[in-house]
Amino acid sequence: MSSETALIEAARKGSAAAFSDLVSAYREGLLRFLLTRSASYADAEDALQDTLINAYRYLHSYNAQWRFSTWLYRIAINNAAKLKTADTVELGDLSDEENDPLSHCIQHQDRQNLWLSARRRLSDEVYTAMWLRYVEDMSVNDIAAVLERSVSWTKVNLMRGRKTLEAELAAPATDEKSKAYG
Amino acid sequence: MDKLANRLRDDAERIDATISEQLDDRIRASLENVTPQQPRQPERKARPVTFWWASSLTGVAAAIAVIALVNLQSPGPGTPTTEPASPPLLLPTIEWQAETAVLVSPLEEEYENLQSDLEKAEQAVRQDIERLF
Repeated sequence: MSSETALIEAARKGSAAAFSDLVSAYREGLLRFLLTRSASYADAEDALQDTLINAYRYLHSYNAQWRFSTWLYRIAINNAAKLKTADTVELGDLSDEENDPLSHCIQHQDRQNLWLSARRRLSDEVYTAMWLRYVEDMSVNDIAAVLERSVSWTKVNLMRGRKTLEAELAAPATDEKSKAYG
Repeated sequence: MDKLANRLRDDAERIDATISEQLDDRIRASLENVTPQQPRQPERKARPVTFWWASSLTGVAAAIAVIALVNLQSPGPGTPTTEPASPPLLLPTIEWQAETAVLVSPLEEEYENLQSDLEKAEQAVRQDIERLF
């Protein structure tokens, strides 16, 4: 029995400490992902807390045929979606970089961060698929499971996301051009 | 790994996502207050012994009633169950001697033709009457 499986079993029996150990490896990645989906840092922290509480409460429903991270991200996406619905008014116009909360989590000299462009240019689902693929190294099957989409949909939209971001990389990133894009 | 994948990974690392001690404490405290739900087992209700006897007897009685009803309603051995088959009907075939109408002429032309036919027929009738009488 792997250590993760042992921790899951212990957490199912009510050990909060075992659950904390279980999710310790995923917390930072989850927070980073939620930051890119939330209106503010505080919202992302709240979403992380809710995600972990829900995961602990409903751990019995976790199916071991999937990776634990896949299941966690499914819960995180649901929580992020709830937050986004509640904060739609506060989100403002994301086409304006200054209004993008993600930009506040990135150092000023790193403003050419591709995820900022991705957030403006890709839909939520394609953005999430790209994140899970290139940051979390998830397989296409796992991404399809997280997004509750077909494998072929996931492949096609990953390809589209890639094309969009490759075009973004190829374009000269001058201030004038950025302004022209709005 | 390709250039885009490297860039995306690097850029994700640059997003500051440090979990503060406050957040860590908050999460630990909230987890302590949560009890994980247990999977629901289907509940099995204990039946009294008389329940099984009663259901068995009811089943037997119902089977006897059905058998009795079927036997009472069934016809006797001498009664024919089916009617004799009728011989197949032989229908005479009708040979149609019809020509297809050609409806290509304009109506006015048809009307004129009919009028001339009528005049010819009228003349023929007049001649016949004069010849006969």
